[in-house]
Amino acid sequence: MIKFENFSFTYPDAPAPALKNINLEIQKGAFLGIIGPSGAGKSTLTYAINGAIPHYYQGVCQGQVMVDGIDVFDSTPETISLKVGSVFGDVESFFVASVVEEEILFGLENFNIPRSEIEGRITSALDAVGISELRYRSISSLSGGQKQKVAISAAIALRPQILLLDEPTSELDPQSSRQIFSLLRTLNKSNGMTIVVVEQKIMLLCEYVDRLTVINDGEIYSTGSVRDVLSTPSKLEKIGVNCPRVTTLSSKLAAAGLTNEPVALNLNEAESMVRRIIRDYIR
Amino acid sequence: MKGFLQYIPGNSILHQLSPITKLALSVLLCACAFLSSSILYISFLLLLVLGLSAMSGIGRSALQIFSLLLKLSLILFLAQIFFIREGDVLVRLPLNLFITDEGLAFAILIALRLMLSALPLALIITVTPMSDLAGAMVQKLRIPYKYAFALTTAIRFIPIFSTEISEIIEAQRARGVNFDTKNIFKKIRLILPLCLPLLVSSIKKTEYIALSAEMRGFALRNRKSGYKSYAFKGRDLIALLAGVFIIAASLLINLP
Ligand SMILES: Nc1ncnc2c1ncn2[C@@H]1O[C@H](COP(=O)(O)OP(=O)(O)OP(=O)(O)O)[C@@H](O)[C@H]1O
Ligand SMILES: [Mg+2]
Repeated sequence: MIKFENFSFTYPDAPAPALKNINLEIQKGAFLGIIGPSGAGKSTLTYAINGAIPHYYQGVCQGQVMVDGIDVFDSTPETISLKVGSVFGDVESFFVASVVEEEILFGLENFNIPRSEIEGRITSALDAVGISELRYRSISSLSGGQKQKVAISAAIALRPQILLLDEPTSELDPQSSRQIFSLLRTLNKSNGMTIVVVEQKIMLLCEYVDRLTVINDGEIYSTGSVRDVLSTPSKLEKIGVNCPRVTTLSSKLAAAGLTNEPVALNLNEAESMVRRIIRDYIR
Repeated sequence: MKGFLQYIPGNSILHQLSPITKLALSVLLCACAFLSSSILYISFLLLLVLGLSAMSGIGRSALQIFSLLLKLSLILFLAQIFFIREGDVLVRLPLNLFITDEGLAFAILIALRLMLSALPLALIITVTPMSDLAGAMVQKLRIPYKYAFALTTAIRFIPIFSTEISEIIEAQRARGVNFDTKNIFKKIRLILPLCLPLLVSSIKKTEYIALSAEMRGFALRNRKSGYKSYAFKGRDLIALLAGVFIIAASLLINLP
C-alpha cells in the first residue's frame, strides 16, 4: 500500500537530512504505530506519505515513495488526497472553517459526495469520536482536546483508504485517548482502513497496533510486530524510548534466566508469566 | 478584544437571513449613508442597526465594533472640523483656527457616514458563518470558489490576528515593556516592531491552511460542490423590501 524505497529528505537549508535512506513497506489493511524520540523524523515521514513533501516542503529528496501504486512525487495533491486522510500534529493551524460542521463539510463538498449521503457522513463522523454536541460550536471556542477530535472527525468523514495521524491524542485525557484508539481499531478491522499513527504514549500504542516502527535520528531503528520490536527494551531505552513497564519487567526476568518466553505486552501476559515462574520455582 | 469580528452562533432573524440578503442590506445601508445628508436620519439608521443587533444577541460585539468605528470617526471628525470656513463662527481658537456651525454639522455628518457604511458590513461577520458566505457567493453571485475562499479566510484571520497581537503584547509586557501609554505616537512606536513577527507567523498560517485545504481535495471542487443551498425565503424578501424602503426614505426625507 505504502512503499518507501531508499528515501532521503533534507529540509531547505537544513544541515543534515531529516530522513536517511528509509526503506519501509506498509501493507494494505495494516495498523502501524510509529514511535521515536522527538526530532527523530516521525512527522517528516508522514509528510512524505500525504504529499506535503514535495508539494509543500520543497527540500532535497532522494529515492521514491509509492502510495497505492502512484508515485507521490509524480502526482498532484488532490490525487493523493483521495487516498490518504491526514490529521496533522498541530491541528489548530489546519482548520479551514470557523464552525465544526463546516470543517467536516469542507472535504465532503470537495470530494463531491452525493447530497443524500452527506448528512449521514457528518453525523456518523461526529458520533464516532463522540462530539455530536459540538456540531454547531465555533472552533475557536473549543479546548485543545476537542479541537483534536474535530480534526479526526473531519478526516474520517472522508473515509480514506489510508489514514495518517500525527500524535492525535497529545491533548486528550486517557479515556478519550483510548476512545480514539478503539475507533481506529474499528476502522482498521471492520472497514479495512490502512492506519499509520505516530504516538508518544507507547503503552496505548502497543495495546492497539499490530506493527511498530521505531524511528531514530532520521533512520528506521527497528520495525516489525509489536512483540518483536519490544523484545529488547534496553536497546530502545538507549535511544530514549521507554517501553511499557510490563515489557521491561518480563525482559529483565528473561535476562535473569528465569524464563525463556517472549516478552509480555500487557498486564495479563505479565501476570501469567510471573505465576508460571513462581510455580516452577516452588516445584 | 476577545471574539472581535468573529462569528457568534445563534438563531435570530439576522442569523437566518440568506448571506446574500445580508450583503445586499449592508450595501443598501452604505448607499444610504452617502445619499442622505440628514444627521438625524443617519443617526436613526445607526440606532436601528444597533437595536437589531441587540435583539439578535450580538449587541456586545456590535458595541465593540461601534466603539472602534467611533474612534476612527473622531479622527475624521477632527480632520474636517477646522477646514470648513463657511457659516457662523461658534468657537474661536488660537492660530486663526475656528469652528463654524456648518463645519460642525458637516464633520458630524462625515463621521456618521463612516460609521453607518462600515458597521453593517462588519456585523455580517458576526452573524454569518464564513463558509455560508463563501457558499452563497459561489452559488448566487457566481464568484469562483477560490476567490470566495480567499476572502472568507482573510476575514477569519482578523480575530486570530487580534488574539496574536494581544499575546505578543502580553509577552512584551511580561518583559517590562509598558504599553499603557496615552501618547498615541509612543504607542505606535511600541507596536510597530511587532508587525514583522506577526506578518511572518501569518504567512506561515496561510500556508498551513492552503496545505490543509489541498490535502482535503480543494482542487477537486467545482461550482456544484456546495452542499447547502441558499434559496431566498419570505423573510429575505421582507428584509430586502425594508432595505428598499429605507433607501427611498433617505432620498425623500430632508431632515437636518
Ligand atoms: N520545516 C522544517 N524546516 C527545517 N527543519 C525541520 C522542519 N521541520 C522539522 N525539521 C527538522 O527535521 C527533523 C525531524 O523533525 P520531525 O518534526 O519530523 O520530528 P518528529 O519525530 O516529528 O519530532 P516530535 O516528536 O518532536 O514531533 C528535526 O531535526 C527538525 O529540526
Ligand atoms: Mg512530530
